[in-house]
Amino acid sequence: MSLLDKLRAIVGPAHVLTGVDLSPYVIEGRTPEAAVLPGTVDEVAAVVAHAAEAAVPIMPWGGGSAVGVGVPPARTGLVLVLTRLGAIVEHEPGDLTVTAQAGITLATLQTALRARGQWLSLDPPDVECATLGGVLAANAAGPRRHLYGTARDLLIGVSVVTADGALVRGGGKVVKNVAGYDLPKLFIGSFGTLGIIVEASVKLRPLPDDERLVAVRFERLADANAALRALLTSDLIPNAVDLLDAASGAALGLPANAATLAVGFDGLGEQVDWQIAELAGVVVPCGGAKPTVLAPATWPRLASAARDAFEAPAAIMTLSVLPGVVVDTVEQGAEAARKRGLASAWCAHAGVGHLTAALRADGPRQDPAPIAAVLQEWRAVAHAGGGHASVTWAPLPVKSALPVWDDAGPAGRLMQRIKAHLDPNNVLNPGRFVGGI
Amino acid sequence: MATLTATRKSALRRELETIVGSGGVLSEPDELLVYESDGLTLFRALADFVVLPTSVEQVSGVVRLANREDIPFVARGAGTGLAGGCLPAEGGLVISMMRMNRVLEIDYDNQIAVVEPGLVNLHLSWAVGPRGFYYAPDPSSQQACTIGGNIATNSGGPHTLKYGVTVNHVLGLEVVMPDGEIVWLGGKTRDALGYDLLGVFVGSEGTFGIATKIVVRILKKPAAVKTVLAVFDRIEQASMAVSAIIARGLVPAAVEMIDQLTIQAVEDAFGCGYPRDAAAALLIELDGLAVGMEVQAERIAAACRESGAREVRTAANETERQLLWKGRKSAFGAYGRVSPAYMVMDGVIPRTRLPYVVARVNEIVAAHGLRVGNVFHAGDGNLHPNILYDPRKAGEEARVVAAGAEIMKVCAEVGGSISGEHGIGLEKVDFMPFIFSAADLALMQRLKDAFNPRGLCNPGKVFPTRKSCVETGPVAYRPHAIETQGLAQRF
Repeated sequence: MSLLDKLRAIVGPAHVLTGVDLSPYVIEGRTPEAAVLPGTVDEVAAVVAHAAEAAVPIMPWGGGSAVGVGVPPARTGLVLVLTRLGAIVEHEPGDLTVTAQAGITLATLQTALRARGQWLSLDPPDVECATLGGVLAANAAGPRRHLYGTARDLLIGVSVVTADGALVRGGGKVVKNVAGYDLPKLFIGSFGTLGIIVEASVKLRPLPDDERLVAVRFERLADANAALRALLTSDLIPNAVDLLDAASGAALGLPANAATLAVGFDGLGEQVDWQIAELAGVVVPCGGAKPTVLAPATWPRLASAARDAFEAPAAIMTLSVLPGVVVDTVEQGAEAARKRGLASAWCAHAGVGHLTAALRADGPRQDPAPIAAVLQEWRAVAHAGGGHASVTWAPLPVKSALPVWDDAGPAGRLMQRIKAHLDPNNVLNPGRFVGGI
Repeated sequence: MATLTATRKSALRRELETIVGSGGVLSEPDELLVYESDGLTLFRALADFVVLPTSVEQVSGVVRLANREDIPFVARGAGTGLAGGCLPAEGGLVISMMRMNRVLEIDYDNQIAVVEPGLVNLHLSWAVGPRGFYYAPDPSSQQACTIGGNIATNSGGPHTLKYGVTVNHVLGLEVVMPDGEIVWLGGKTRDALGYDLLGVFVGSEGTFGIATKIVVRILKKPAAVKTVLAVFDRIEQASMAVSAIIARGLVPAAVEMIDQLTIQAVEDAFGCGYPRDAAAALLIELDGLAVGMEVQAERIAAACRESGAREVRTAANETERQLLWKGRKSAFGAYGRVSPAYMVMDGVIPRTRLPYVVARVNEIVAAHGLRVGNVFHAGDGNLHPNILYDPRKAGEEARVVAAGAEIMKVCAEVGGSISGEHGIGLEKVDFMPFIFSAADLALMQRLKDAFNPRGLCNPGKVFPTRKSCVETGPVAYRPHAIETQGLAQRF
């Protein structure tokens, strides 16, 4: 029996896609050999076991919102689609935890949680299609990470199908747990290279009584820097502190100021009122305008503001630096692009030193060389700021012109050893991740 | 452990002295005895040498020598652990980190500090306190325990309910790998590149290597703090109040429960103002903005009253607040008033199962003819039943151990875990199958093999291994001086 026949026997013929049905799963111009949509955890395990036995590489696929991240696979074998695993397994509000299957979209999960007065404090872009498993595998986050952290602060348990088709659980369903190694941490941000997340347990938070997002506009980037420093050392407890340059601000429909700080507050109504009033006293002396309240609909667009600034970006890069040099990074990065005649857009979760930058494409057949050169300069800026930078989206010619991932140094060798121990035959998303993993 | 011949031992001693200096190697039996156990005195194991390095190069040199000689080694901080995790289970070297105890760098702009592993947890908060900052993880041994030890066990504490445990506050580690290579995991930025090696290292109980530099986040002290004491006539009411608080959309900084036996011991010892006739009390702390604090305190009081609290009061001032916390933090020391010894358990359950499990714990201990005091992190569902016993009475210690195993089974049955903050160490190696399948353990073993392929780095912990030479047996629990003074406790 061929592999495809075996897969059809496991998941049913309707859930094995081939030929023209594969068009939604074309990765960087390459069509996979098949797409499989298992309906249960056991089916995922069986599919992986059979594919691994046939040495066919497997690319796990949630909502597809991060499939452009990383090095494209050398061989696009099997796309393993998890969207049929969309159930909430257990939600006990009194425990402030939920267990759900990996394929549930973040929007669906949040809606169900909100109905019971709670939420998962992860707000990456594209929640309508991004799945819980995908968000964890890509370690995606959004503006509220300023106060509430990222997946590593929220994930308490994970079920994973490993490269040999075994179902493995790490962590548990309780909010505090030091029994055994912290396997959930291992799978966060691992882009499906160590195992396929099929179920996850996360910590929740009660919905706040009130939440508001305010904008503070600046005529000069340097003033925004001073205001940021003042804000981060004040008594205020914002849940988001995002910095947007003019191009990213325009993507949100904000006026064309040199810079805008988007600051979020939540809590009791009186706490939000007090903090917004207090914020004016912090930012106005630094040259900021009086804070204005933004529409709640602005929230989900913050994290993707740089990406959305240009209709067809030429490349998108994510930079991680010390929070204190975020504004310098934006200035130097924008200048590096300008020098080569390219427009850029920047947005940053400024309090935690996480930046996203986009380059504008000038035409359909753009020379990849200057784009790659700017990205290399951005990477150098990040290194000077004590951090690192990786390309999160770019056309293949650009990705071929520079390393997509930054260099992990000696730790990279340890990562390769872990990969070799957990996926010795290199069937899970081979070659996609840091250091050729 | 005398597995080394006298000749080999004296040659090794000379080589170790070349690396760390003559004052940095201990091998006399009376010197080694100090390092034979940690806070869990049930287990004891003697090292061949205790080595006290002062730099990462020395740690790496010692580890490389151990590899060449094929002898096991284990890093040790202050020895306040409660699972036997830092014992030299198969002999060899104890590498004490206590001479590497400096604060290397404080960066207030980026709200981070770089410290050495032997730094005492509380000393970091002292160092950054004058500028209005603190280090959030606050294990109750924080007056003595080291940040390196906190890394190994992923320590918690009362305020982890709101602020998270150690791993949520560490950004980077310089590590001497089990083969002696020096590697940075993570760094100073919030996001690391590639796999979260830092995240899996923290809490690996010293089996993945030895941390030699630690980058931690420091937080601004909250503008306001309010501490509430809720008093209950039945312990189930206190348990139910925990879920009632959560259900009202409140996440306090800490929610701690203290039962009657413990209250009475504390009041006998220190007189902290807890009502002696209460079945249980909840100590609840709110922190954050001054604005809105009153409203939140009222919501908490209402949740407690609805659950049956007979009294809810707020600490009127900082002195009263400190006194209430002293009662909580000195509870373990106070058990000395009511029992010659006790053994502290550590398990975690979903918060909503507190009423059931607290009752089961009391039944189990009673069925073994013993008494139990409960003082624990109720908000996290992290139980600490303290089983009281007399080690001079034959068979009593064995009954404590048996009751402990049953309690762990109950935690596992309700979907919980066998350790919330103490770790597996030697103590709970055999309990791992209560919550993990063979496949789960096999994956953990593969991960360990990637970090520690020769198994020389802290063998015998977390998983069972072959040649353990650990002794167990009755040794009376001896409270540390800081416990008897009510300054800190073991939990």
